[in-house]
Amino acid sequence: MRIFRFVARRLLQLIPVLLGVVVLAFLLVRVLPGDPVRSILGQNATEEDAAAARARFGLDQSLWQQFLDYLGGLLTGDFGTSIQSGSSVGSEMALRVGPTLELVVISVTIALVVATLLGIWSAKRANRAGDHSVRIFALVGNSVPEFWLGLVLVLVGYSILGWFPAPNGRVDPDTGLTPLTGADLVDAVLTANGPAIASAAAYLVLPVLTLVVGVVAPLLRSVRASALEVLHSESYAAAKAHGLRDRTLHYGYLLRATLVRLPSLAALVFGTAIGSTVLVEYVYSWQGFGQWALRGLLYRDYPVVQASVLVIALCYVLVFLIADVVHAILDPRVRL
Amino acid sequence: MARSPRPGASSPALSRRGVLQLGGGVALLFATGACAADSGDKSTDGKSGGDAAKTLRIAVSSYLSSWDQDFVGFDLTALMLYKNVFPYLVDYGVTNAGGSQILDTQNITPTFAESFEPDAEQKVWTLKLRRGVKFASGNEMKAADVKWSKDRAFAAQANVAGVYRTIGLTSADQVKVVDDYTVEFHQAFPSALTRQIQAISLYVFDSVEAKKRASASDPWAKEWFAKNPPTGGYFNVAKATQGQEIELSANTGYPGPDPAKTPTIRISVVPAASNQRLQLQAGDIDIALGISQRDIQDLKKAPGIKVISAASNRQVAIQMSVTAAPFNDVNVRKALAYAVPYEQIINNVYGGDARAAKSPVPLDMPGYDESGYPFTYDLDKAKAAMAAAGRASLDSELVFEADNEEQQKIAVQVQSEAAKAGIRLKLTPLDPATLGERRTKKNIPLQITSGQLWVDDVEYMLATSFVKGANLNYSNYSNPEIEQIYEKSHTTVDTGARNALWKRVQEILAADVPWVVICQPNFNLPVRESVAGWVQPMDGLARLRYLSASA
Repeated sequence: MRIFRFVARRLLQLIPVLLGVVVLAFLLVRVLPGDPVRSILGQNATEEDAAAARARFGLDQSLWQQFLDYLGGLLTGDFGTSIQSGSSVGSEMALRVGPTLELVVISVTIALVVATLLGIWSAKRANRAGDHSVRIFALVGNSVPEFWLGLVLVLVGYSILGWFPAPNGRVDPDTGLTPLTGADLVDAVLTANGPAIASAAAYLVLPVLTLVVGVVAPLLRSVRASALEVLHSESYAAAKAHGLRDRTLHYGYLLRATLVRLPSLAALVFGTAIGSTVLVEYVYSWQGFGQWALRGLLYRDYPVVQASVLVIALCYVLVFLIADVVHAILDPRVRL
Repeated sequence: MARSPRPGASSPALSRRGVLQLGGGVALLFATGACAADSGDKSTDGKSGGDAAKTLRIAVSSYLSSWDQDFVGFDLTALMLYKNVFPYLVDYGVTNAGGSQILDTQNITPTFAESFEPDAEQKVWTLKLRRGVKFASGNEMKAADVKWSKDRAFAAQANVAGVYRTIGLTSADQVKVVDDYTVEFHQAFPSALTRQIQAISLYVFDSVEAKKRASASDPWAKEWFAKNPPTGGYFNVAKATQGQEIELSANTGYPGPDPAKTPTIRISVVPAASNQRLQLQAGDIDIALGISQRDIQDLKKAPGIKVISAASNRQVAIQMSVTAAPFNDVNVRKALAYAVPYEQIINNVYGGDARAAKSPVPLDMPGYDESGYPFTYDLDKAKAAMAAAGRASLDSELVFEADNEEQQKIAVQVQSEAAKAGIRLKLTPLDPATLGERRTKKNIPLQITSGQLWVDDVEYMLATSFVKGANLNYSNYSNPEIEQIYEKSHTTVDTGARNALWKRVQEILAADVPWVVICQPNFNLPVRESVAGWVQPMDGLARLRYLSASA
């Protein structure tokens, strides 16, 4: 019950936070140098054409009026019209969020599992060959840029070994997948489309692997350090001295105490993973949210930038909320 | 000091089983991938062997931003697709030049139209439609569709409305329906550009379908057209997988000349140039539209691949601000023109695959004259020009597009050589929006530009680049005589008289030197050896109907 009250309170706190994000995003994108209209004009456009284009997107209005229009639109679920494409930002975003969330959620989930298993395994073998290998892997994962790793994986996995499909999208178009959420694997499962499930899974392997390698490294180091701390603690030594079963020791004393710090770190890493998708999506032709937001920023497509900042902020806040709740469940000392 | 507890024999559950589970999981993941890769991608009929004659695969760098040609930004993928899926009523013919096939901008022929001819004064142009041409909806293309399309362009201030000003079309009233298959365009003045302007503007929407989607708040169905492909062109869009692939199928109902040679063309989006290269080498694509110059050089030696090289009218230049110091001094502009290492750039940046430019008027454009740009690399002359300007040295900024490897290489080489003449340049890469804003404010002293004009004519070049206030006139250049020539050219339709005007234009530009004209790079396209029929588009927008692949 206490947790539900905590969640409700935090959800209410979202309103001023998101309002602040809306205001800041609106102002900051306009502070940036750059003309959003110039790039949509033809070769022989005149100043009158530029003025007409500005009027078409409401950019001739006062800043205050533009903000009120934007806010009014948000309240009715209208994110505005993209200056570059002339399409509704909401509908464009709906197509882009699913693929990126699928990529990030699968990657972070795998990274969490791998980090937990390997981190504890490594701590139990501290300073032995296995531990050194894991630490070297973490070091490499921290050091390798995602786009480089992505290109190498494409070269090896697609070009040399031929195990994986060409980096040209998210699912084989010939599978006839009906898009529902935009997350192709989810859509394939929901529509029970066998070939699409296999194809979407195959397309996911390399980009997920690229993200996992980058994301798992900090998690791994954290889990290993926490596990070592627990293994060296008096409470663990006392429990072991009392002759508790290994299973009880592992799950009751080591695992739970080790994972206490993980949710906060995982939330941070989730944010990093969203940022990393910009390059990963480029390398794997993923056409997700990251590439869309980046293009919006490059061309100062105000409605696109505003919407993408808002969605990223929303994701962050929700993920940290989940992290806090999980932390409270894992650590009884935490009072919500 | 506490020691790390050594795992005893009684606690190996995590270590062994965990590792096995993990290894098994990864193996399963890879197996799934390998399995699906075999069952999916490789089994399609798009490979270059076997039945490749039925299907061509083309990789492009980005997905189009909208299907509505009237309101799209400068999106080359989109513009190329429109050329192939919209019914353009007239288009360029094809000619041979230097061993390659190119679009013939002097020969504009009816395609979906039956004829497009002027009256004696060349002010009223009559467009006659072919009968029986249908959109994918089954609706027949009629004069009402042409009229609705042009009404839309004017009412909604679409891109075409701006282009039409060049030929004296400024209002929807000037487009008149005569009967179901005849439309007249009443221009305010005769123009030698009419055919070329209509070749890039005369595309038609299915107005019957459009009206079904229109609403009071969206009378021109913009929301619907942004998301739904047009129909009735050389190809129809059989399937569009958002962000990933567009499948075109040949329009078998096309009644005009040069129908599509390949029944199916699959256009896949591969942003990374290196991935396009890998897929081309693997035979998963037949044509790579978006590969880097460096990869092209390597691919020339790759087995199974050929690199088509065709003369292009894309021109690379440095525009100098003639209204701000230090380049408001013509001698300083001449100094830079003499300090640029033209041959070195052609060799180092383009591997020798570019033509030296002798005029701001592109090579091959009617009216081109070598007197337009009499500058070659000569550091002594550069230093003499600096001395004539009363300067030993100067500092300036050279702006180029961020993320443009070609321009970056040029900038570095210009910087190095210009320094020897006393012109110290700070290199400034800018993102598209910042570049656009600074161009609007006309506060860039030097900037590298690269592009080709949509209309192959000096009048159009002046309109876009050299008259006061022109959109591409980043130099802020103006010359009263050129303004007069430009005005006169609107109503001068005789070829000889026009060429005389263009010769004078080039003499003036040679004296004023608003641009450093670097070169005209050839167009290079890596394709599988089986691919044939590439026609070099002089407007940069590929006509896919000519392409084929041998089985």
